[in-house]
Amino acid sequence: MLNYFPNSSVTHGMGDQFRPFAIQMVTKMGFQFSAMLIALLTIMLGSGAIASELDSGLIQGVLTRPIQRYQYILGKLGGLIILACTYATLLFSLILVIGALFGLSTITSLTFSQIITGWLLYLLLPVAILCLTVFGSVSLKAVSNGILMIFVYILGNVGGMVEMIGQYVNNNSVIGTGIFISLISPFQTIYSTMERVMVPSSGLAASAMSGASLSGSGKPASIWMFIYIVTYMLGFVILAIRKFSRKDIT
Amino acid sequence: MIIETHALTKTYGNKTACDQINLSVEAGQIYGFLGRNGAGKSTCIKMLTGLVFPTSGSGTVLGRPLGDVSAREKMGYLPELFRYQDWMTGLDLLNFHAQLGKLKNKKDQIGRVLKLVGLEGQEKYKVGSYSKGMQQRIGLACALLPNPRLIFLDEPTSALDPIGRKDVRDIIVSLKDEGTTVFLNSHLLSEVEAVCDSVTFIHKGTVVRSARMDELLMNKISLTIRAKGITEDLFTKLNKHYELQKLADGSLTCSLKDYEEIPSLAASLISNGVTLYELTPHRETLETVFMQIVGEEG
Repeated sequence: MLNYFPNSSVTHGMGDQFRPFAIQMVTKMGFQFSAMLIALLTIMLGSGAIASELDSGLIQGVLTRPIQRYQYILGKLGGLIILACTYATLLFSLILVIGALFGLSTITSLTFSQIITGWLLYLLLPVAILCLTVFGSVSLKAVSNGILMIFVYILGNVGGMVEMIGQYVNNNSVIGTGIFISLISPFQTIYSTMERVMVPSSGLAASAMSGASLSGSGKPASIWMFIYIVTYMLGFVILAIRKFSRKDIT
Repeated sequence: MIIETHALTKTYGNKTACDQINLSVEAGQIYGFLGRNGAGKSTCIKMLTGLVFPTSGSGTVLGRPLGDVSAREKMGYLPELFRYQDWMTGLDLLNFHAQLGKLKNKKDQIGRVLKLVGLEGQEKYKVGSYSKGMQQRIGLACALLPNPRLIFLDEPTSALDPIGRKDVRDIIVSLKDEGTTVFLNSHLLSEVEAVCDSVTFIHKGTVVRSARMDELLMNKISLTIRAKGITEDLFTKLNKHYELQKLADGSLTCSLKDYEEIPSLAASLISNGVTLYELTPHRETLETVFMQIVGEEG
């Protein structure tokens, strides 16, 4: 892609002025693709975490031991979070290493604080997905839960697009719909915030790129949105514990 | 009482799985829990182990209310459909259960149960590579791990060969000798008859009978009579005192309440000119009692 712009028939002879545009695009695509991969991997890990043990009867031997049911849920969630975060860290590091090796200015110019903040936001994505998925795993069969979680994840992307379209057409009700969808599925908000930290918008390339990704309205998420996301995560964990504590293991 | 329940009931929608179950199980005995498939046995065991919550009624296990976590420290459970983490080795699985049970002397306890269930030397292999019988043995080992005061065995020999069944029978008897109460659900009635002190029959979710095994089986004696010259008049006359039945091979059977009735029956047959070839008393088996109790209930 970095070679495409200077060599295409449209931009041929225009020098390196499209290079920053291409670098931003490549970096954003790298993060987007890896975040989607992590999200799907997390859904695969979490959707059957409890449901498959309920189905197979494996859980019976565990729950007749002197442990509380909330301990079982938190233990499962903790284990899955460690696993998903390990994968996420690996992918995140890989993007940075590859970017640095190719000398992408978007990566080489990153500060330490940017990397740490971006990394933590990158980790927040699978953790948030797991909180919802574990609740689904208590309530649904593994396959149904997996399908539902993929739907919710895609819904978040749709929410970002709807909000972006609302900005373009300057229609508040469309923006409101996008925000409402983001409240149901806030994963895209987490991603877009991470993207803003890692690929900050500035200059001509940023102007050209605004709207080139599914990053919502272009405005950064407020602190209230992050308070909502934390409440969302805790809420689903509490719901999972409550539901599981009353569940008959048949 | 190590287990006591009062009107324990479990319903799933319109379906009643267990209805007003009252149980009193004394400590230190082997207690048989019998019934047909779908009678509600496993649901009842799951209520006692805290896996299923009763819709109504109450109960205690090891002196604690149903579902109390502390009671599980001295409780073992082998589920009917045993499934264990097949990616773990036998040793990993036992270590995992020892950790869940917060056991001290893990190594000693694991060694003890491996020896007891006959899996010494097999513990380093993955559970997924075990035969069904070995998986049932490792399940039994997990149940025995906390040195339980009360153990629930739901069909503990369903996957075992005759030698394995005998081994488990011996383990059950040795547990009783050590003071452990065994709550046994099995369809193998000969097995239950051989080891149980008391039994409860459950049918369509309701307890239909509870009794000590010796009382249950010594109530009636079945007698086989092979004789020549029993006239219709004599049959009618004898039938008034003994419940006579003609069998297809020409012999008769009757039920007696006491062994002391046998000489008088023999005397009346001979005095009426009957030629007696065989008079064989049979102690009633649990299978015939089961058929009478559960069969009668339809």
